[in-house]
Amino acid sequence: MNGGGTTTRNANGSGAPVRFGALVTAAILFVCAIASGQATPQVQVDIDGDVVGVGDLLHVEMRATSSQAMPKDPRPGGTPGFTVRGQSQSPSQTHISINGNRSDQYALVVDWGLQAQRVGTFSIGPVSVDIGGTRYESKPVSVRVVPAGHAPARQPPPQRGMPSPFGFSPFDPWRNLIPGMPGVDIAPPAAPEPQVTLDPKLSLDAPLALVYFLHAAVDKTSAVVGEQVTFSVFEYRDIGSSGIQIDEEDLHDAQVADFVKHALLREDQDPTLVGFASIGGRTWAVKLVRKWALFPLHSGDLAIGPMSLTVLRPAGAAAGARRTEAFRIHVTEPPAAGRPPGYALGDVGRFTLTAQVQPRDIEQGGAVGVHVELAGTGNLPTALSPGAREGVEWLAPEVHESLGSSGHDAYGGKRSFDFVVRIQKTGSVDLGDLALPFWDPDQRRYQVARAPLGSVKVAPSAAAAIAPAAEQRPLPGLPDARRTVEGPIVHRAHADDSPWFWLGLAAGPLAFGLAVAGRAAGRRVARSWQRRRASPAADLKERISSADVACRTGDARGADAAIVRALEAATVAHVGVNVRASVGTEVAGRLERAGVAHDAASSFATLLFECEAARFAPEAGELGEPARDAARARWVRAQEIIRTLGRAQEKRP
Amino acid sequence: MRRTSNSVAGVARALRWSVAVFVLVVGAVATARADDPDPLLASGAQALQEGRVGDAIDAFEAYADRGSVDAAASYDRGLAYAQRVRVGAEKPGDLGRAAHGFEEARDLSRDPRLVADADRGLAAVRGEVARRRLRAGQPVEVDPGPTLSRTLAGLLAEDTWAALAMAASAVLGLGLFVRWLGDRPRVRVMGGVSAGVAAPALAFAIAMTAAGRHDRQSVVEAVVVSSTARPTDERGITVPGSTALPEGARVEVVREEGASTRVRFGALDAWLPPGALRTLAR
Repeated sequence: MNGGGTTTRNANGSGAPVRFGALVTAAILFVCAIASGQATPQVQVDIDGDVVGVGDLLHVEMRATSSQAMPKDPRPGGTPGFTVRGQSQSPSQTHISINGNRSDQYALVVDWGLQAQRVGTFSIGPVSVDIGGTRYESKPVSVRVVPAGHAPARQPPPQRGMPSPFGFSPFDPWRNLIPGMPGVDIAPPAAPEPQVTLDPKLSLDAPLALVYFLHAAVDKTSAVVGEQVTFSVFEYRDIGSSGIQIDEEDLHDAQVADFVKHALLREDQDPTLVGFASIGGRTWAVKLVRKWALFPLHSGDLAIGPMSLTVLRPAGAAAGARRTEAFRIHVTEPPAAGRPPGYALGDVGRFTLTAQVQPRDIEQGGAVGVHVELAGTGNLPTALSPGAREGVEWLAPEVHESLGSSGHDAYGGKRSFDFVVRIQKTGSVDLGDLALPFWDPDQRRYQVARAPLGSVKVAPSAAAAIAPAAEQRPLPGLPDARRTVEGPIVHRAHADDSPWFWLGLAAGPLAFGLAVAGRAAGRRVARSWQRRRASPAADLKERISSADVACRTGDARGADAAIVRALEAATVAHVGVNVRASVGTEVAGRLERAGVAHDAASSFATLLFECEAARFAPEAGELGEPARDAARARWVRAQEIIRTLGRAQEKRP
Repeated sequence: MRRTSNSVAGVARALRWSVAVFVLVVGAVATARADDPDPLLASGAQALQEGRVGDAIDAFEAYADRGSVDAAASYDRGLAYAQRVRVGAEKPGDLGRAAHGFEEARDLSRDPRLVADADRGLAAVRGEVARRRLRAGQPVEVDPGPTLSRTLAGLLAEDTWAALAMAASAVLGLGLFVRWLGDRPRVRVMGGVSAGVAAPALAFAIAMTAAGRHDRQSVVEAVVVSSTARPTDERGITVPGSTALPEGARVEVVREEGASTRVRFGALDAWLPPGALRTLAR
């Protein structure tokens, strides 16, 4: 069922003989087809490169031709390692009549855009199409995917006119038939792209914008105060695009307020081409437009802002603002450990010092010239600090400098200082050394550049000797120096650092307050206790207890009296009714009105009556043991009735 | 028998020698450690003695940059800066840095003689600053002194205020109890009077203790090390009509925000630009 083949477009155009052979074959087939009136449908697949980078777009083009019916329902088949990003179709029909013989030709050109997703070698297809109810397939094509930016440059697809069903243009059949033969162009030819060598280092994962964009880079994201950070801005132009126009007035350089900035490119220098890069299947010319040596002024996370500009042309989606990436540089101070005396924060690089002193013999009050040259790379200090000595006065120096890019992206050069030194002392005056401590970021340690100055012979001068004496020197009467240390500072503890101190401070008044409050509280408790003691419940409890005691003794009258009091207290405590001084049926009536059941009220009234009767019976005291037993029996009944009243009270809402 | 006694005596002699040598070595090490100053300080002191004040300043500053604090080192550093002014090699800020060294030494030292010398040095430096400001037509008040509360709190040591507060508390508590529980009217009156006197005394002593504690724990002070430290407002705009704060003036740091520092100098409450102050170690 395979009716087609696969070709890969040749990038350098050396396939003309191949095309010639193919054309002859096609012509023979065409003639045969016309002769027979029947032809086998052809399915041909083209890809615009067999090696692509991750993220690149691969175009797979299928051409299906048939004399029977219009091809339809094209399918790309399997696309492992790729994602289908788009599809476009171009159907066409050709009808030719030669000497009364009519021939029809149907063609369908389909273009799929596939984006490479991962590295590997993948088989795409088979691409298939339906022609007259039969599905025809091409052979699968093999494509190798390499890391982004490592793919060879590919030519853009040629501008095509109307696709020819015969594989050549009927309006210009001789075109490309013979190599070198000029043709009649129906569509304008694509602009030829120069052959370039790609630099993978300039490649990016994806283009930042269409046609033109800026990309910034820094050589490090952490540094010490005064260490050079190289900031570069590259311009990327798609070499397949022309007529790109930038708005020069809307160009804004990156903001680097926390750095000292030195340009490493000359201001009059045009952007330099640094190479070509393949990004997103396109070839880009890369130019270096900015290169700065930035020296951090202080520690912290310091910002490098974006550089921005506006693309005016080409208009449309490609126009608009472009801006570079922004950066944050983590800046610290060089270590305090091992820091040499005289080190000034920011002196970072590699420096050398040389010095010349002339003349070496002068008179007192005269002057010598000291020429000092500071050379090296990095953040060269703008001033030197010669050691102050008594009788030696260093005047402000004249400074000359020659600084700029000194190779390998390093900023540096030479700065010279011409001092005039006036000497008031006599004899051999040692000028000492000029020393410049600095932090070497490459070796990550402190170093000291030194230039010995030597001695100057100063002859006495009478005039000069008088002058200093007459001059009023400031700060008279300064005390003497100390040669011994006093020792570490001891932060001793103070009494008020302890919470116990503050607690103790409050102890006296607090104790008084607690005592006063305690006494008041005690009184309140006593009053409350007394109130509780006077309550009906407490009274009942006491009466029950008394009745218990009375019933255990031999006094029957007393026991009955105690039982009566307990019963009366029970009505007050449980029912809320006082039956004292009630007689006869009045007792039961009161209890019933208070909600006591009739039986209970009657039992209560009967028992109360029995107790009263026994209590006041004249013979009760003489009956002895029987009377005591009867009283105890009444007490048992009384207890039962008291409990009954208590339960009744609990049931009441 | 004799051989045994001889060997015992030899061992004892060796032991005695060993102990003697050990004591000598330990003593020497201890003495050397006590007398051996930091090499930076030694080189700084040597340079100061030889008149190489620039080298002396470098050495003392390197010592301070390490985070080391010593009253004598601060004093010598102040002296080195003052000497640089004196020998005519003055750099901007030298007078302020000299005052800073003397102030720090005065605060940190436990040696009354060092404190007295630091006072002398400070007086000389402030005198020079006042002379220069007088020549420039600027106010000559260099040291307005601390605030009233800090002056009062400074009358006694913090621990003394604390002890007074404790005593006042005890008297107050006792007086209240006597006033409450006393049997005789005279006793009760005595208790009431004691409590009445002790209560305000306690309040005052507590306030002074708290002020001393706050001063010790929270107050940050600095010295102006620039002759052009003009006070500004919060936005960094110079206060109209103001003159630069005197170089070497001691100020109280109220707040640090960004690069600027809010300070209090006498009645003035203003902001100073970065680099105009050097904080005093405590």
